[in-house]
Amino acid sequence: MKTLTLPARILWNAFFWTYERATWQYDLMVIAILAFVWLTPPDWLGDPMASGTGPIGWMLALLASDIVPFVVNAQVQ
Amino acid sequence: MTFTGLIGHICMVPLRAIIGACVALRIHPNILTFVGVLINVAAAVALGQARFITAGFIMIVANIFDFIDGKVARELQAETKFGGFWDSVIDRFSDIALFLGLIYLYSTRGRTDYVMIAAIAMMFAIMTSYTRARAESLIAKCKVGFMERPERIVLFMIGAFTNRMAAVMWVIGVLSVFTVADRIIYTYRELRDAPPEPAS
Repeated sequence: MKTLTLPARILWNAFFWTYERATWQYDLMVIAILAFVWLTPPDWLGDPMASGTGPIGWMLALLASDIVPFVVNAQVQ
Repeated sequence: MTFTGLIGHICMVPLRAIIGACVALRIHPNILTFVGVLINVAAAVALGQARFITAGFIMIVANIFDFIDGKVARELQAETKFGGFWDSVIDRFSDIALFLGLIYLYSTRGRTDYVMIAAIAMMFAIMTSYTRARAESLIAKCKVGFMERPERIVLFMIGAFTNRMAAVMWVIGVLSVFTVADRIIYTYRELRDAPPEPAS
């Protein structure tokens, strides 16, 4: 393991899990899992019971749209 | 303190009261274990009928029984080898019941893809327990890998309450595969590095 670079070592430690519960590593893993479960759009996963794009889909749609939100184009006719 | 540790401490407050009540009533821990699996079957039926919120609440009740049985046994000084065996076996039935509820649900919706994903997740969840049990017949301890039963149960509840069961099946499936792999690798290394047994 000593020859691995830092990113490779992080990946290996995440895969070969030896940490106890209630450690900061465990907390990080829990946050990553919750982020995946709650942020991934159900449509991306083809969820049979839920639909919609979820928070990530909403943000991507916002970024992709040509209309910039919250800008009012006020013109007096 | 970590935030998962804090959640654990908070959850222990009502659980201590329930454990105290069971000890006062001298309820046998093996009965608590069995009641737990029956309630989990009810949760599986609710999952099969797509009543996720109901299933979530039933799972909370069922897993209170699952959680307290060992602690009640210790308090009552009624710990037995059979009790440990009974608990492990019944836990597997509880696990399988929940997965079967979802498999039934996905099959009624004609979703073969998710039937397979849930079935694979179930297979590796069972293999997670089997690899540890078998490894610990050869080596002292094999407690590696992330996705153990408490993590699975909490994920099932999160999936049920927030209607994100598909994502939960992916997480349980993938991390259970890793956990089984971890246990195989760990056992291989331990046995490889162990001193050779003296010839009898």
